[in-house]
Amino acid sequence: MLVAWRFRKREKSFIQWFDPRAWIRFYLCFLVSTLAFWDVRFLLPFFAVSIFVLATSGVKWYEMKRAFLFIVGFVFFFAFLTFLTGRGGTEVYKTEHLIRQLKAPFTILGWTPTLDITVERAFFGVSQFVRVFSIAIMTILIPYSLNPALYGITFKGLGLPDNIAYAMDLTMRFIPTFGRDFQLTMDAQRARGYELEKISGGLIAQVRKLGPLMVPVTIHAIIGSEDIIDAMDLRAFGVGPRTWLDQLTYHRRDRILVAFGVLILVASLVAGFWGLGSFWVPAQLLALAGR
Amino acid sequence: MDKKFTNVLISLVVILAIFGIVMFALGTQTIGPFNFSVDQATLVMRFVFVVLGLLIAFAVYWFTRENAAWEVGTREVVWMAIGAALYAVFSWLFNGTVFVVPSLSQVSLRPAIAIPMFFGYAFGPVVGFFSGAVGNMFGDALTGFGLSPQWSIGNGLVGFVAGMAMLFKDKKKSMDTVLWISGVLALLTVVLFFLNRGQKNALFFDPANNIFGDATISIFAGVAILVGFVLVLAVRFGFAKNEDIAAAVTWGMLGNIVGILFASLSDIFINGFSLAAAIVGEFLPAAGPNLIFAAILVPLFVGAYAAVRKQSGR
Repeated sequence: MLVAWRFRKREKSFIQWFDPRAWIRFYLCFLVSTLAFWDVRFLLPFFAVSIFVLATSGVKWYEMKRAFLFIVGFVFFFAFLTFLTGRGGTEVYKTEHLIRQLKAPFTILGWTPTLDITVERAFFGVSQFVRVFSIAIMTILIPYSLNPALYGITFKGLGLPDNIAYAMDLTMRFIPTFGRDFQLTMDAQRARGYELEKISGGLIAQVRKLGPLMVPVTIHAIIGSEDIIDAMDLRAFGVGPRTWLDQLTYHRRDRILVAFGVLILVASLVAGFWGLGSFWVPAQLLALAGR
Repeated sequence: MDKKFTNVLISLVVILAIFGIVMFALGTQTIGPFNFSVDQATLVMRFVFVVLGLLIAFAVYWFTRENAAWEVGTREVVWMAIGAALYAVFSWLFNGTVFVVPSLSQVSLRPAIAIPMFFGYAFGPVVGFFSGAVGNMFGDALTGFGLSPQWSIGNGLVGFVAGMAMLFKDKKKSMDTVLWISGVLALLTVVLFFLNRGQKNALFFDPANNIFGDATISIFAGVAILVGFVLVLAVRFGFAKNEDIAAAVTWGMLGNIVGILFASLSDIFINGFSLAAAIVGEFLPAAGPNLIFAAILVPLFVGAYAAVRKQSGR
């Protein structure tokens, strides 16, 4: 049995107002454009777009609460870690201006934990948060908004041949199904006394103990595939050009959306080519650091 | 052009297109301390290595194009999807934050790698390649590590080479050749490890202790590939009568070495790593443990699948 992503048709959803092919094209343009910048002033419009899309998506808070909190927590955690360690930012800035140095009043084996708060680290953390958050929000909404029944025709509409479009369609459909199968298998094994959390022993023993989880899920998937293969063969899959049950039609609004996406993409690439949008820190913060 | 040629060519071009779209969209992502950021110059280099990986796959196809292993029909399409989805799900579960499988002496457990090896061996190189490449891409996206396209192609090559077993009529002879090649490569890389003991383990991340790929590689991580090789040898000769298990593990081993070596060596050109950093810092900590999985999990998959085939008669 296939388990679907948490899609449902939503009233007045901005995303669902568009053809899924148009939305995927806009989404890809949005991603590339966002990644062209490290300057938070350039990133803020993208942030605003992602917030607008989130607010108008029609996805209820209770539906996406877990996923949303996980993603935001993840993004925040790593942005904060970057702020603490300074790692990751050295790719985009070379010098740092110290605002304050915090030293722990204790030492660990002769080492004093020290936190250098610099203008660049702090602002890189902010830029990183805005950048990744914008992308994450746009990404997280897709499974809630894109009808699984339209995956195949959408990939086909994006130019992939039938075989690959259908393989991609199935891959996306199988992921939640196998996630669910894994959970069921783990529950069944737990009922038999298997405890993944208490996996112990040497490396080889640990690997061997993963078998009771991975093998049943994999073999069950392969056995289940026979039904899908039979169904596809009975419908003469691959014999001729595939027809799709649902047809997608481009409307004027879809063309406008794609054109808008291409426009911001071109503008972003041109801006990047001219050296605009690279990492920026406010002069006021640099003044704070005594520069 | 015959249909088979067109199918394979289209598959490779499409995979290239998918990677092109996805890597230019996400390939420059930096997530916190994990340095996946790429400037425009390295982005192009990454794309070059995606093309190179696909050319390797195409060259192998071209020289063996008459073989039935290259057929892509309904079954292969479904198996590709299953392999990729399973690899993505297992990567998300075991390599991410859902189940924190402990690492031993810097050797983190990545059991999911057994999936492309098994799918490649059981269902052919095209299925293996798709499972490894697309599965790794989706898995990375799910895990939140960001995307590293040349590593996805490397994972694709793991499944692809494992599937090359189908191209040889004499399984036993091909296995022996594969063992020799893999043994020599494993030995060479371990020698490099002993010549560069101070090298950092670029794949070892331990946020709790503020370690992000800057710890010196441990002796176990350095020689894990030899441990894996010995285990593969044990399976090869321990299951001498069950040719399928022996061949799956042996070809899986070569796939692992070739695929991970491809991805690691690409970092010499992409990230400016030295040969020692690429081999000792990246290849050994990844390929060594993978071999241990190949030796233990792949036989379990092959055995279980053989039982199912016997039962269903397919």
